[in-house]
Order: sequence, then C-alpha cells, then structure tokens
Amino acid sequence: MRKSHPIRRVVLATAATVSGVVLLLSLKPASDPNGEAAAGAAPQQTAAAQESPQGGAAATGTGTVDGNVAQTQYGNVQVRLTVANGKITKADAVQAPKGGTSDQKTALSVPKLNQEAVAAQSAQIDSVSGATYTSTGYKQSLQSAIDKMKASAGSSQGSGSSQGSGGAAQAKTVTGSVAQTQYGAVQVRITVADGKITKAEAVQAPKGGTSDQKTALSVPKLNQEAVAAGSANIDSVSGATYTSNGYKESLQAALDQAGG
Amino acid sequence: MTTTLAGGRAARRQTMRRIRPRRSPATVLLLVVWAGAVGVLWLWWHNTPSIADQNGKILNAGRITGLLAGYLMALVVLQMARVPALERRVGSDRVARWHAMSGRYTLCLVLAHIFLIMWGYALQAGKSLGDIVQQTIDSINQLPDMGKAAIGAGLFVLIGLTSIGPVRRRIPYDTWYHVHLLTYAAVFLTFWHQITTGNDFAVEPAAKTFWYVLYGSVTALVVWYRILVPIRLNMRHRMRVEAVIEETPGIVSVLIGGRKLHRMGAQAGQFFRWRFLAPGMRFSSHPYSLSAAPRPDMLRITVKAIGDHSARLRELTPGTRVWAEGPYGAMTAQRRSRGKVLLVAGGVGITPMRALFETLPGAAGDITLLYRANTTQDLALWDELAAIADDRGARLMYAVNSPDGERPDISVERLRQKLPDIEKHDVFMCGPAGFAQTVFEALRGAGVPARRIHHESFEM
Repeated sequence: MRKSHPIRRVVLATAATVSGVVLLLSLKPASDPNGEAAAGAAPQQTAAAQESPQGGAAATGTGTVDGNVAQTQYGNVQVRLTVANGKITKADAVQAPKGGTSDQKTALSVPKLNQEAVAAQSAQIDSVSGATYTSTGYKQSLQSAIDKMKASAGSSQGSGSSQGSGGAAQAKTVTGSVAQTQYGAVQVRITVADGKITKAEAVQAPKGGTSDQKTALSVPKLNQEAVAAGSANIDSVSGATYTSNGYKESLQAALDQAGG
Repeated sequence: MTTTLAGGRAARRQTMRRIRPRRSPATVLLLVVWAGAVGVLWLWWHNTPSIADQNGKILNAGRITGLLAGYLMALVVLQMARVPALERRVGSDRVARWHAMSGRYTLCLVLAHIFLIMWGYALQAGKSLGDIVQQTIDSINQLPDMGKAAIGAGLFVLIGLTSIGPVRRRIPYDTWYHVHLLTYAAVFLTFWHQITTGNDFAVEPAAKTFWYVLYGSVTALVVWYRILVPIRLNMRHRMRVEAVIEETPGIVSVLIGGRKLHRMGAQAGQFFRWRFLAPGMRFSSHPYSLSAAPRPDMLRITVKAIGDHSARLRELTPGTRVWAEGPYGAMTAQRRSRGKVLLVAGGVGITPMRALFETLPGAAGDITLLYRANTTQDLALWDELAAIADDRGARLMYAVNSPDGERPDISVERLRQKLPDIEKHDVFMCGPAGFAQTVFEALRGAGVPARRIHHESFEM
C-alpha cells in the first residue's frame, strides 16, 4: 500500500542492471592469465601464437608442447606432446572430462588416443567409439599442439631460408591475416613450394558449442580444397558458411603475402 | 434468503479459534530468487576467463542479459502457476504485482540481449552497427533453434504491447488474457536456443541440467496447479448456481451450491476465480471474493455490476454449472497478530470484510467494521452485518456522503475519536484504490504500523 513510484522504479532498475553488467565486464581481465582457450577465442589464440617461438626449442631438442584447451560438452580436453627431433614421442591428456560416466569414458578413450597420436604423428586419428566428444576435443587440442610444434620448426626453417638466399624450390610457410566471423576468428596457414600450395591448415577456427562440430566438419575439407585449387576460389562447405567465408578471406590474404 | 448465510454454527466455531499468526514467506522466497540470480551470474563468470576487446564486451553483455532473462522467464511463469504457497501465503495480489514487474523487466532484458548479441556478431563479422538487421536475419537462418526463438521473441513483444496501460484499458479483458496465454508458447519456443547456442550450457553440463530442472519443475507446477488441481476440485464439488439475489441497486449476490464445499479449505477473506458455463461467459474466469464463510452446501459471492462480465451475472439462471479455481488470497485471519481488529470496507469491498467480520476470532468488542458507501441505500448486506454485530458483540459503523453529496471525513482525528486505541488494531482493508490510499495514510498517521495494515489491491 506504500505509494508506488513507477518512474523511479524504472530508473533504478535500469541503472542497477546497466551498472551491474558494466561492473562485471570491467572486472574481467582483457587477456586470459592462464592462456586457456575459452569462449572469446581470439585473444587466447593470439597468446598461443606468441608462445610458439619459445616452443621452438622443442622442435630441435626434446621438449613438450601443450595444445589449446578444447571445450567439449562434457568438459575440457588438453593434449601435451613430448617432442624429440620433430617427432611426437609421447602424448598425454593434461585435461579430460571428469565426473559421472565421464570418468569411465576418459579412462577408456584417452590412453587409446594417446597411442594413436604417437603412431600417426598427426591429428588424423580415429575417434574412440562411445567417446566421440572427448575424441573430437582431443583431436582438436592435438592439432593445435602439432601446429605449435610445426610453427616453431617452420620459423627456424623460415629464418634459415632468408639467410640462405634460397633456391626456388624452397618451401615457405605463410600465415594469412585473421578473419573475424560470427562464431570466432579464422586464420589460415599455407605452405608454399614452387609457387604451389602444398599444405593448408587453419591455425584458428571457431570453437565452443555447435561451432566445434562445424569446424571439425568444414576445416579439413577446406584445407583439401585449398591445396587442390591452389587459390582462394574454393567452394564453401554447406552448413558452415561463415567459417568458409572467413577461411577464404584469410587464405586470400596468405596467398597475397606469399605472392608478394 | 439473504440472511440465511449469517450465523451458521461453523462460523461461530471459527470465532472461538485461537489466533495463530503466520508470517508471509515473501522474504525467504525473494532471498532464494536473488541467490539464483547470483548463481546464474557466477556461471557466466566461471565460463568467461577474459574479454579481449570492445566487441567481446558487447557480446558478453549480451550473454549476461540473455542468461538473466532465461532465468527470470522461468520465474515469471512460476509466479502465475497458482502455487498455494504464493497465492495463499504471499497473497495473489502481491504475486500478480511481482509478475507484472518481473515480466516487464524480463522483456527489457530479452530485447537488450537480442540487440547486444546481434550487434556483437555484426562487429565480429567486420560489419557495423548499421548491419544489425541483416545480421539478425542471417543468425535466424543459420543458427540452430533461432527461428523458433525469433517467433517466441515476437510473441513476447506482442504480449508486452497488449499489457501497456493505455493499450490494455482499450482492449477487452478476454483478448488480453488469451494473448497472455501465448506466453507459454513463447517460453517453449525460446527455451531451445538457450540450450543449443548458449555457450555456458554447451560447455557446462551441470548448468544444462540445472536449466532443464528449472524449466521442468516450473512446467510441472503449471500443469499440476493450473490444470490438474482445478479439474479435481470441480469433479469433486460439482458446483451450480442456486440463486441470484439483488442486494442493492447494482450489487448482486450469487449463491453457489455443491457437494462438501467445506472440504475446499476456503477461508473467509479468500476468493475463487469463477467461470460460469453460460453462453458468452464460459471463456473467461473472474476473481470474486466469498461474501460469507463457506458452508458445506453453499458458497456466496457478492459482485458489483461494473464490467461486462459482472453485469451478466444478473442474468444467470439457477442450475448453471460453475467452474471454480481456488481458494486464493492471503487476506485471511492468519494475517493478523493478537489483538483487536478493524475492518475497513469501501463499496463492494465489503464482500471479503463481511466474511471476515463473521469469522475472525475475537471476543466481544474486539472486532470493528467501518463501512463506507455513497448512500445508505448502497450499504449492501447491511441487515446481515447488523445481525452478526448483535450476535458476537462487534461494532459496526458506516460512513456515507451527506445529503448534499459531501464525502465523509476519514481522518486521523476521526479515527482516533472512534477508536481511541486504534494503534493496537490490525486493520483489514478492501476498497477502490483511491479510498484505500486515503485510509492507509490516515491509519499510518494514527500510529498503526504498516505491517499491521492488510490490504489486497489488484491495481498494477
């Protein structure tokens, strides 16, 4: 029965909500202190990229490389590779889904995935049936670890080539600019030899939620297409239009760089 | 016939009962709601390690507003689930005000969420704020469950528009009500995009489970209390109109017969939502207070013919089937503390006061009823009130306009003069908003604490 002041209430509610949201946002650091990949993929990815030169030591001697954290429906997956002379000698999961049935699934799948990773020396490994999400996350993190490993190797190679005023057959790695899409950043790295693309890969791709599936679905296809076409005139993968467009943008930027 | 409902034995037994005050659970409930909101914000905090740039800030503001809107949406529906703890303990009127308030707030959050997320996506895609419409269309086409969410959001806007004061006054109650029922569809449609595209739910299985439990239990409560409980009530009691009686010009009483009506647990001061299964009336239900303590074979409501619906009550024929939902309302004997009671009625607001006057526990001289009307002819149920006052030794006063139309003076001085110990009274009040406001201020001036003034108001 106290007098109600509708205007005052509206002003108060608005002010409280806006200042609350602004406060929460401002309390968050601008970049992740732990370097964990999460929702706002872009900043962590850059952080990861900066780490790679330090990881360069791993490529020549023995060392470890941590992949990015891949988020799955049941929890995070992160792979650590032990590398000696450019080869994966050991793969571990430093993070894997826990709790409930996840414990069993992790116990079942992770050792297998570790073995597969060492055997294949790439992220092209089979998923463990019954643990699809974990497998997909594992492969993602593994891919990023391998990327880091190669990046350090590539950078040493790259520096070698500039000194050696190299021959025409010299392979070089070029990374395109980051293309922003609705679901996250896309960045393409290509390896060029004799003016031809010998390899294309995405060092950044959308993550989290349904993006994981879409990325897993589209990026390998786009990589193949890029190598086959030798240009950025490639078909979009249906159902992943944004990622495809971002990919093409970054690919074009990389090609421009390589050509120039 | 009019006086048959006064002085029943059951009513007299109630007046001898011990006074057992019960506190409203509102404070505890509000604390739980706030704790839930903090939990939802924590979920966001936990899943967001960092925010890179301006664009990230916009997107995260969108996520926060979205999460809060999703949380509040469940509560907005819960408030209308007719849960007895809310309807009978907190009070239907207060819950309805909460519902209106949180409904508006939630709609604003939904709109802010849509705007911020689409703005953020547009920026992320390298476009500007101007492309937000195109961005929204693209997102609806490409993201899972977004088509449904868009339809739901459209419904929310429609429901919000029909509830804005001037619009609502202009459209018929039934139209407004049926548009409002679309809320269920809108909540259902918008639920799925939260689960499939919401980052926090994709990443955190516990959060997803919590969300399913929250929405699932609200659904269960709605189905139980809005559908199954009324069906059971009406199957059991099979109510029919017994008679319609003109009390004063413009005020009619409807007597409703049925089986074992005392088993419905209705108390004096409460109301039911009534639906009369007569042509033109069956599609809407209306809240009317009981104007007498319920008897095993008979209930009575007394209604002033002001709206379309209440005017039609006059034409009800005996034997018409009645569908009732209730009892609702917290303005019962439980609200009072120990001590004397003043009942204040304005016009047709006499209905719950009449029932309370008959049944409130108290010794002779403890209960006083002040009845305000325009003229003595408008004092509906006066004979009954006089009989009750005689029977239980209660005081009965009325205040009407003077012959030249001047309003009676309800002031601090007049109240003190009539009831020297007024500050020791609990006051129950029912009447038009302006009247209630005047009386409330006079009572506060006379030293009655606000927590002892019990008032039900359905003005939003």
